[in-house]
Amino acid sequence: MTVKTSSARKNGTVRAGAEAASEPIPLRYGDDPYVWACWLYYEDHMTQGDIAEIMGISRATVNSYLADARARGIVNISLEPSRLSSLSIAQELKRHFGLHDCLVVPSDDNTRPLIDRLGGAAAQALAKLLKSGDTLAVAWGRTILAIGEQASVPGLQDVTIVQATGGTAASFAYTPELCASAIAGAVKAKLINITAPAVVSTAEVRDMLLRETLIQSQFGALAKANKALFGISSLRPNSTIHTSGFFESVSLQQYLAKDAVGVVAGRFIDGQGKPVAGPLDDRTIGISLDMLKAISLRIAVAGGFDKVPAILATLRGGYVNVLITDAATGRGILNADGVTELDQKLSQRPRVDNTVALPSNFRTHIKKFLNDPNDVVEEMLDGVVKANATYVMPIKGSHRALVARTGPRPGKVGLVVGGGTGHEPCFLGYVGKGLADAVAVGNIFSSPPPGTIFQCANAASGGQGVLFVYGNYAGDVMNFEMAAEIAAEHNIEVRTVVTTDDIASSPLEDREGRRGVAGNFFMFKIAGAACDRGLSLDACEAMTRKANARTFTMGVALEPCSMPQTRRQNFEIGPDDIEIGMGIHGEPGVLREKMMSADAITDRIMDRIFSEMKPAAGDRVAVLVNSFGATPLMELYILFRRVEQRLSAKDITIEANWVGHYCTSLDMVGASITVMHLDSELTELLHHPCDTAVLRIG
Amino acid sequence: MSDNAARRLSRMFYRISIAIEAGKDHLSDLDGAIGDADHGITMSLGFMAVNAELAKLNLDETQPSEVFTAAASAFLDAVGASTGPLYAAAFRRAAQALKQDECLSAADQAMIVEAMTTGIKERGKGQRGDKTMLDAWIPATEAAVNARARSAGCLEMWNSILEAAEAGANSTRSMVAARGRAARLGERSLGHMDPGAASAVIILRAMKDTFGEGEPAR
Repeated sequence: MTVKTSSARKNGTVRAGAEAASEPIPLRYGDDPYVWACWLYYEDHMTQGDIAEIMGISRATVNSYLADARARGIVNISLEPSRLSSLSIAQELKRHFGLHDCLVVPSDDNTRPLIDRLGGAAAQALAKLLKSGDTLAVAWGRTILAIGEQASVPGLQDVTIVQATGGTAASFAYTPELCASAIAGAVKAKLINITAPAVVSTAEVRDMLLRETLIQSQFGALAKANKALFGISSLRPNSTIHTSGFFESVSLQQYLAKDAVGVVAGRFIDGQGKPVAGPLDDRTIGISLDMLKAISLRIAVAGGFDKVPAILATLRGGYVNVLITDAATGRGILNADGVTELDQKLSQRPRVDNTVALPSNFRTHIKKFLNDPNDVVEEMLDGVVKANATYVMPIKGSHRALVARTGPRPGKVGLVVGGGTGHEPCFLGYVGKGLADAVAVGNIFSSPPPGTIFQCANAASGGQGVLFVYGNYAGDVMNFEMAAEIAAEHNIEVRTVVTTDDIASSPLEDREGRRGVAGNFFMFKIAGAACDRGLSLDACEAMTRKANARTFTMGVALEPCSMPQTRRQNFEIGPDDIEIGMGIHGEPGVLREKMMSADAITDRIMDRIFSEMKPAAGDRVAVLVNSFGATPLMELYILFRRVEQRLSAKDITIEANWVGHYCTSLDMVGASITVMHLDSELTELLHHPCDTAVLRIG
Repeated sequence: MSDNAARRLSRMFYRISIAIEAGKDHLSDLDGAIGDADHGITMSLGFMAVNAELAKLNLDETQPSEVFTAAASAFLDAVGASTGPLYAAAFRRAAQALKQDECLSAADQAMIVEAMTTGIKERGKGQRGDKTMLDAWIPATEAAVNARARSAGCLEMWNSILEAAEAGANSTRSMVAARGRAARLGERSLGHMDPGAASAVIILRAMKDTFGEGEPAR
């Protein structure tokens, strides 16, 4: 809990005590006895009796000064909202329903109405959750109005509040218009109303209204909402829904007869959260349940025991991911869903004691640009979809499956790549014309699931089959194989080339067991060109296999990488050590050596590459010097310099080269060198034009 | 609130999720030694998704096999990775096995362990001694089968399942990895417990806690 007085903290204290008693108010408080009294009470922690003595007034007056100061906003007491989420009921709700967050207001002695208390908690939460640039869809109800009355969210820019439903002529105080305008006032945001009735007389009237340009533009604003704030109404006899007169009672009875238990943003749902069809559906103007679900942050504020079935239904239906409720209701929801006895177990969880003395310069966490560590992949993809909008678009709204805007076309073999994140610009930077048609995106260092990969195959398919190209990792192999099985069921023929360019990862006898690393860059390029030239599925597969057989990569790590979730280095490496043969997931290298010069490291790598590639004088190659994430271009060029020296000493020509971040491992310090041994076919395909976010040729 | 079989399974998944969450950092540290340090995160993500999915079911009208089926797709869609397909296969196998008998008797419980192991084995094409989760699951299955053969009681069966799984997980310290990313390390994987085997023990312990408490008196 923090207490703020509106005067700034000064150095001196008022411990001068009794001799100041008869003094007038000291200058630094101006002439405001309220500020003086509050300072002495909250900042100097004096008793009301002491204050009365110092100020020369009665104790009762001090008491009333303090109360008035609260009422007049001279003193603001705020409770850190995250503390409310630390309660065990909140944690259980969050875990049980997979919520993004949950705040639970402690139960009290009922001196304040529950709606006011929920409104206050939600008002404070809103100040945390709302950010500049947000569009917030606001539904209506008594709770929502209570939030608007208590909220104050200053300092945000470009926030838009959109009324989530049409309006009403009803005489109650918490109409959709008033709720939206109360929130907009509290946030000092731009307000967009839906200037149509929430419920109209017929479906024809609704359709006509929805065709109006003005209404269309208002719905356009609503569709842009990235956050939503709504209450949950129960359908029990004395609920708002009945008493407000918002809905005709005849219609309500029909929804009740079909087992509706609650209303969310003017839409009826059953106990499992499924929409209940009824007479008002096509006469309602407002946000649909599908639109609501598509909003990324969906804040529901509701409490009261009679609302338990309705809130449970809303949770089951997935309409909410931030729930604000009270302790009694929260417990009721958990009990209603069969969660009992487990809260004791939760509280008995052992706490890890981290009180070991560490040197003052010791870091336990790596600094990273993060909001919520659990949101890194989603937030990155949000950025990618916007930044690379000219090249890629989401498949069926999922950022985990992206398709090239000018990629797939009838008669062309589709190319699908993919893998875990943390390797950017791999894999999603290589989607575009002449390269990959679609990319499946997994969690950090984790393969995407089969469903996502199949969506990509489906989107990439032009009727001539689909080629999967991905690195050789147990997880990727299993998920891509399952996706290929699903594709076969949908009559899409899939061929697979698993890349195995990392020569350090297994001996030559076990070439198929090697992992795929930065050489993917070349395999994708060759495969993309083969597909774009309209070659058959057989030929595309053969070209890609050839590229894989003639591509050799080896990496060296100087420092480990760190996962965003832990912000700790994911393995240890001695101060003077380097890991040779490092993979792109921070897997420990195959061999640990002492640090050596850049040329010596390059030589170690090139010697191994030459021994496998067996080049002849006059051969041509393509070279990739790739950073693992944290190694700067400066050092990459130093490595490239030595690569070029070694190649030209063997009279090998570099046909094309790339130096930079092409296949990374988060923030690992290190680099890999890849050489593709060209022949005439591969050279031609390498130069074939392509246009992607990361690579453009021609 | 009547306590039915589906509800017990849902409670089992809930317990697994809590236990995995508590062991998350430990699992990731084990994985950091021989893999990419994300095993704890991945498992926790998967079981959180299972919980969220099961919360959407009406458990009063759900069969245990349907709980496993829902868990399989939720886990797979949330996780991908290598554990996704493996545990999805495990849960699907368990669902198939339960379709013949949905009452969750001690015999059914043994069958669940056996079916899950079969699913993991088939999908991962792995075997005992590869330094994987199977080094916990296979001994656990053998213990379950043995316990059924000697008509052991439910709690006794689960005690021997857990004991066998723990011994199996410990034995992975002396193994050289043959599958997964750790396989590329060769003998450098020696001395480290396999994180997949460690999480298998956590899962089996949560299953034991659920089934070992017997039929709740209600």
